[in-house]
Amino acid sequence: MNNLLQFVIRYSAFLLFLLLEVVALLLVVRYNENQQSIFAHSSSKFVGKLYKVADDAIQYNHLQQTADSLAGQNAQLKEKIFNLERSLQRLIPADKPLDSCILEPFKVIDAQVISNSINQRNNHFTIDRGSKDGIKPGMGVISMHGIAGIIDEVGEQYATAISVLNSAARISASIKRNDYFGSLVWKEVDPGHMVLEAIPRQADILIGDTIVTSGFSFKFPKGIFIGTVERFWTEGGSNYYTVEVRLHEDIATLDRVYIVEFTGNELATQ
Amino acid sequence: MNTISLRHIIRALLMLLLQVLVLKRVGLSSSWLWQYGDIFIYPVIVLLLPFRLSRHYAILIGFILGLTIDMFYDTIGVHAFALTATAYARGLLLAYLEPRGGYQLSMSPTIFSMGINWVLTYTSLALLIHTFLYYTVEVFTFVYIGQILLKTLITLVLSMIVVMGYHLLFNPRT
Repeated sequence: MNNLLQFVIRYSAFLLFLLLEVVALLLVVRYNENQQSIFAHSSSKFVGKLYKVADDAIQYNHLQQTADSLAGQNAQLKEKIFNLERSLQRLIPADKPLDSCILEPFKVIDAQVISNSINQRNNHFTIDRGSKDGIKPGMGVISMHGIAGIIDEVGEQYATAISVLNSAARISASIKRNDYFGSLVWKEVDPGHMVLEAIPRQADILIGDTIVTSGFSFKFPKGIFIGTVERFWTEGGSNYYTVEVRLHEDIATLDRVYIVEFTGNELATQ
Repeated sequence: MNTISLRHIIRALLMLLLQVLVLKRVGLSSSWLWQYGDIFIYPVIVLLLPFRLSRHYAILIGFILGLTIDMFYDTIGVHAFALTATAYARGLLLAYLEPRGGYQLSMSPTIFSMGINWVLTYTSLALLIHTFLYYTVEVFTFVYIGQILLKTLITLVLSMIVVMGYHLLFNPRT
């Protein structure tokens, strides 16, 4: 206290000077239009910046929520696209009676991958949706850039799926350019590549050809982009090509996935 | 109230009148001056305050005087800001320019007492601070720093002519 008092006395002239300067500045800002507008402008700029920072912080808290709602919307959009594409395919022959069940057989549910593996012989991943969300075994799981796997076991809250990087996974896939189809399997070790088997030798394949789902298995809608042809060869004496496919989706970084349900299953198999 | 105080007060009033009635009009009448400068003589009131007057009083006088000028110039606070700073700078300048023997009781900040070189240095430094701060606060942003410096320079030269003219013509003793 004594020190403070001494400080005030010692610098009293300077403090008085500061005080009066502040008063003068207040007067300047208060009574002069020009300075007032500049002050108001810069202070509103400052306040705006402050609000922006605070808003950003709050937004960050809401990111998860926002991402969830966006994923939900995305699922709805995917559902619409699959159904529209399918209706288009059905419409081209246009000689069959149309049924809404056939028209809109696909349901899409969004989910989050909560556990994943890529380095085992048979890889699985777990999603945060279960039977209460309508997940059933055998449904296809697609992701942002391709396909991810097939639902295997379903609990109430969670479900596990066999990854495409699993020796049990066989996915019907075709070359987009000429519709030759085969089954896509994983030959272990390399999580970036799969092998498309049983493409007949007469098929013309080019390096870089697009591989898509064939739509024959009903686990996946037709035409989902899987990857591109990296190289192809024939095993000795075989009549079939073996095609190495570079996966577009990086399974190691799987995060948001969409589960496709094909409700027209019974009808389609008839 | 002794005669010296009375003399200071009367001189201050006269300078104020000179400033707001004459020099302000000179500034207004010429479009060139209006744009690029002004003539200030009123800071001299603060600069001519006796050496022995405490800095607090000088600062207070500067503030009140500045506000008075502001009322005439319709620039509330701008002159007050500049003149308060000048009054504070006066203390620093006096310490900086203190002669070897220190200030004597008989001394006053005039040519008669301190010589023309001392007065020239003292006045020009103080006026430089005053005009620069005046134009800075007037524009209220450093964006136009070039214009501020130009105005400061022109006003400083014009004001110095008037102030030194006063010193040389009237040669005040106190």
